Amino acid sequence: MLSKKIIAVIKREFLTRIKTKGFIIGTLLLPLLMLLIMGGVVIFAIFMTDEQKTIYVIDQTGRIFEEFEQQFPDTLNNGERVYKFIEKKVAPALSVVPHGIQSDKDAALEQFRKQILNKEIDGYIYIPEDVIESREVKYAARNVTNFEEQTRFTNALSRIVTNIRLENLGLSAEEIRREMTLGRIRLNTPQVTERGEVESSGGVNVAIAYILTYLLFLTLMIYGQMVMRSVIEEKTQRITETIVSSVKPFELMAGKITGICALGITQLAVWGFIILIPIVYGESIINRFAPEAAEIIRLVRLVHFSGTTFIFFIIFFILGFMLYASMYAAIGAMVNTEDEAQQLQFPIILPIIIQYMLFFIIVQRPESNMAYWMSIIPFFTSILMTARLSVMEPQMPDGLFLSVFLMIITVVLLVMLVSKIYRVGILMYGKRPSIKELIKWVRYS
Amino acid sequence: MNVLTVENISKSFGKFQAVKNLSFSLEKGTMFGLLGPNGAGKTTTIRMIMDIIIPDSGHITPINRGNGKNENKNDYIGYLPEERGLYRKMKAGDLLLFLAELKSMIKKEAKREIDYWLERLELSDWKNKKVEELSKGMQQKLQFIATVIHKPEILILDEPFLGLDPINTNIIKDIMLELNKNGTTTILSTHLMEHAEKLCDEILLINKGKAILNGKLREVKRDFGRMNVLIEYDGSDRFLKESEQIKKYDNYGNYVEVHLKENADTQKLLQEAMQSAAIRKFEVVEPTLHEIFIETVQKTDTKH
Repeated sequence: MLSKKIIAVIKREFLTRIKTKGFIIGTLLLPLLMLLIMGGVVIFAIFMTDEQKTIYVIDQTGRIFEEFEQQFPDTLNNGERVYKFIEKKVAPALSVVPHGIQSDKDAALEQFRKQILNKEIDGYIYIPEDVIESREVKYAARNVTNFEEQTRFTNALSRIVTNIRLENLGLSAEEIRREMTLGRIRLNTPQVTERGEVESSGGVNVAIAYILTYLLFLTLMIYGQMVMRSVIEEKTQRITETIVSSVKPFELMAGKITGICALGITQLAVWGFIILIPIVYGESIINRFAPEAAEIIRLVRLVHFSGTTFIFFIIFFILGFMLYASMYAAIGAMVNTEDEAQQLQFPIILPIIIQYMLFFIIVQRPESNMAYWMSIIPFFTSILMTARLSVMEPQMPDGLFLSVFLMIITVVLLVMLVSKIYRVGILMYGKRPSIKELIKWVRYS
Repeated sequence: MNVLTVENISKSFGKFQAVKNLSFSLEKGTMFGLLGPNGAGKTTTIRMIMDIIIPDSGHITPINRGNGKNENKNDYIGYLPEERGLYRKMKAGDLLLFLAELKSMIKKEAKREIDYWLERLELSDWKNKKVEELSKGMQQKLQFIATVIHKPEILILDEPFLGLDPINTNIIKDIMLELNKNGTTTILSTHLMEHAEKLCDEILLINKGKAILNGKLREVKRDFGRMNVLIEYDGSDRFLKESEQIKKYDNYGNYVEVHLKENADTQKLLQEAMQSAAIRKFEVVEPTLHEIFIETVQKTDTKH
């Protein structure tokens, strides 16, 4: 079945591309770039916390400041506190100013605002006298988008106010502290699998799913377009007629798709290998060089990335690639220039983008009905099934084999249809065919 | 033995009828000229023979090798299409090897043949250069090598001299004649009559998709039934104006080309000429294919 001629076409498509600088650089550079970005994020994070924040605290109750400050002992790399809280006392006295009557408080806050704008301080926290009853505190700053910071402030203040309220009820400080500590619970989140309950990898597996689906998204687009460009090149350079005097158009198309598919697998294998190294050897590497990073070791141990996932990942790449590449080949055959192709490829890119978007929903609930139905639609299977598989690992998602089966059928039907368009299209120059003409092409061959 | 029989093929593209009821056959070892003006239907006919497009009606008997083995017929046809181009990013040698492999050649033999042909067409230095670095003429030669490298039994060449200088044109012509002498059947499609005149044994002239002249070149010329006379002389040109034999003449300064009337007597013209001038040369020539071509095409054009 696989004639010598097809093998010659496969070899040419594969070898001429794998030798290009673009491929070699892309294959080695992307993982390197990802590592750099990840390293960059860490460095950036360290760099960001390297700045001390100065915040005025106006504690009108006089009971909260000290305890509040104690809740933020975290320090910067240089040993200084991350937060420098300065207590400001403001008397509630009134005074007459040119525009009317103003309290000292208002004047002081006005002054603080100016200091914030002049970047002398980062913000102020105003705790009113009746905070125990009103339970409202103001935190004004140049930048109030840091959710984590706000949560910490809220929790700290809440705890102090709660303590005061409990003390008011007659409990001793010691009793309160004990009750608060004993009342805390820890939420364990095991994952239920066929092997019983296992410690959940939670976020880590989502991260793996994210990487895998992103790679699929990238490669399906890049390699599909590569097939299209290859067809267009043969058309614009007028090579097609020379080639089809030796091989059948179907053989040319099959060889082209297979050759470029092999190229894609090569790249994914290299990338996969680079990703696998830290997963497989990460623990021993970290143990050896940075044994104090126990948290990272725990994460690495939690990663479930089995051979099964990898095999299905490759299967879904091949099937997804066949699906999209054959459509890309048809588009390449229908147009004369790459510009024309840009307009036509939208219907192909759309399902790739949609399935990539759906990933973010499905990854939250990989076992839901919606996840099931979406992932068995052949045009969405590649990315969505891979996502479900890697998130649910080591469990197999429902419909896994059904989706493979449906994809194979779709690919076979699509290739049959597309090869007819391809056969006619590659030797047609001039106007782009209308839908009516396309149907004629399909009937004609 | 016929290697190819074409019976009544027609092909339309939309409303445009490119080929109308065309029939001809091709004997083994002939150099067959498929001639016609631009847009006559030559390339469409060749593409139908090559199975690249399918005729609307009519029948083409698959190319017959005469030994009963007709599978993979593409492997013993060498086709140089009119629309030609090569993979620009590939090295010349690699490209030839790829195209030879597509013709089911064994790698070792293909490599030997590549070296032979590159040497012969003076392209050896370019073997490891990318195609895009080669000049247009060199690319043409490269493409010609790809057409003949697998020793095809049938060569189909669509405007093979397009873009070649006279020196390279002659090199290619010599190779064509040499291959033909060794038994290769050749279809040469061209609109340049001087090439066809020098190379072809047999011609098929088509215009607007229809055959208007078909047969052995010698017979076609004889049947055209008209001779010209080339005369070089010193003295009066009175005989040119007075002779009953002359239909018209073209004076080229050094010599005069005389178009004779039908049934004219060349001997009588010679006598008349001798009376008024000193004749240095008097040569009866056959009409050129060029003349036959132009006249026949014009005749059929006015008929419609």
